[in-house]
Amino acid sequence: MAARLAQVSLFLVAAIIGILLVGQLRSQARPLELSTLSAQELSALIETLSARNVELRDGLADLREQIRDYERAQVQGQSDLVITEEVLRGISAFGGLLPVQGQGIRIQAEGSFDPVAINDLIQELRNAGAEAIAVDDVRITARSVAVLGTSTIEIDGVPIGPTFEVLAIGSPDGLQAAIERPGGILQLFEQSIDARFTLSQVAQLSLPATERDLTPQAGGAVE
Amino acid sequence: MTRRLPARSRFTSSRWAVSIAAALGIIGFVGAAQWNSSLARQEFVTSAQRVLVSAAQQAQREQEQLRAEIEVAEAGVREFQVADAGSQAARERLNRELAAARLKTGLVAITGPGLVIEIADSERAVPVGESATNYIVLVDDVRDLVTALWASGAEGITISGGLTQGPSPERLVATSSIYGAGAAILVNAVPLSPPFRIEAVGPEGLHDRFLGHPSYLGRVAQRIEAYGLQFASEARGEVTLQAFIGNTRMRWGAPLTEAD
Repeated sequence: MAARLAQVSLFLVAAIIGILLVGQLRSQARPLELSTLSAQELSALIETLSARNVELRDGLADLREQIRDYERAQVQGQSDLVITEEVLRGISAFGGLLPVQGQGIRIQAEGSFDPVAINDLIQELRNAGAEAIAVDDVRITARSVAVLGTSTIEIDGVPIGPTFEVLAIGSPDGLQAAIERPGGILQLFEQSIDARFTLSQVAQLSLPATERDLTPQAGGAVE
Repeated sequence: MTRRLPARSRFTSSRWAVSIAAALGIIGFVGAAQWNSSLARQEFVTSAQRVLVSAAQQAQREQEQLRAEIEVAEAGVREFQVADAGSQAARERLNRELAAARLKTGLVAITGPGLVIEIADSERAVPVGESATNYIVLVDDVRDLVTALWASGAEGITISGGLTQGPSPERLVATSSIYGAGAAILVNAVPLSPPFRIEAVGPEGLHDRFLGHPSYLGRVAQRIEAYGLQFASEARGEVTLQAFIGNTRMRWGAPLTEAD
């Protein structure tokens, strides 16, 4: 009888341990639980998602406009090569294959930058909504990163000196506010690496096309 | 009259007592930890936060809907481009150029040799007095891995997050952002959760070059070692990367024409 009771007790204890451990392990896994974010973090997240949704809505409207143009051309029996050429130019500009011009900001930077700092600056501009970026006349593509070359920092094989210029096309106010915000990247670099920046809004910036051939050599398009 | 238990029984009985005490101790510890964490969470979720959480969820749902609609619209545009009624030679040339531009900019799926990386939060218990953020994957870790991959010759990269039913992998393009909002990591403004899976297509030796690159060795490899972040990487003979789905239209700029 006592042995049976001991067995039952042991079973119960083991079951409770199991349930609790599973619960604890699950709570230590980190699914994106929005309720665990602070109000400030949630606000930043909503702001980012909303900005992205505005971009997506614009992009969708643009695609629907293209479809309407194609349909119109079809009804009128015209060639729609002009529309396709426009699409090609848009995609090429987006990916850095064509030079672009537009509004944005110019940052003149000076200091003891390392590749990580330059990559962080580029990333911060992308986060702030930059549509095109160039560092010292090197157009930044998806594949462009700052690395330590033989004697200096390089981007796409081009040396970047201790003084360099960053051009970014995008909302001038939005870019400036994101970059210059208290505790933001410029303030961080001013304090951590003694960097100095001059930032100005520019109505008409011109950025070159990339000089890299971005055609994949190892990979190919999925048919 | 007391009856003395044989030596073996006394020993067994004390072992039982120790086992049960240990089991109860574990129950107490785990139960307290569980209770504390759920209490902390409950206290954290204020009514204002509930409104924000709801707004964030709505924005996420809207984003998913917009991306699905963009995918359909892009397919529609491509159909028209293929069926263009203009000059055959001009159409073929233009479509070749368009296909090449899409390939170069990450707008089509690609396949080829490459590698797969997975990184997740540490399973180690956070020592008292130490910051818990040291033990989770941070946005800088993901950025460093991506930098090391591009610098090692990757031709395309996608990032996905979560074990199951997560969002589809995000292809990195010229405007891609990798952004941290608290514990969340957003890639192309899509919130992802660990474990993060990074896939890359690139030439022979990509995996070896990646493992030896300073952008990997400098910061993230040290955090993996010091805090026990879970990490695995493997070269693969064939990796397929999805195309970027999102906006490619410039709002603040335009292509520079020869006339400009």
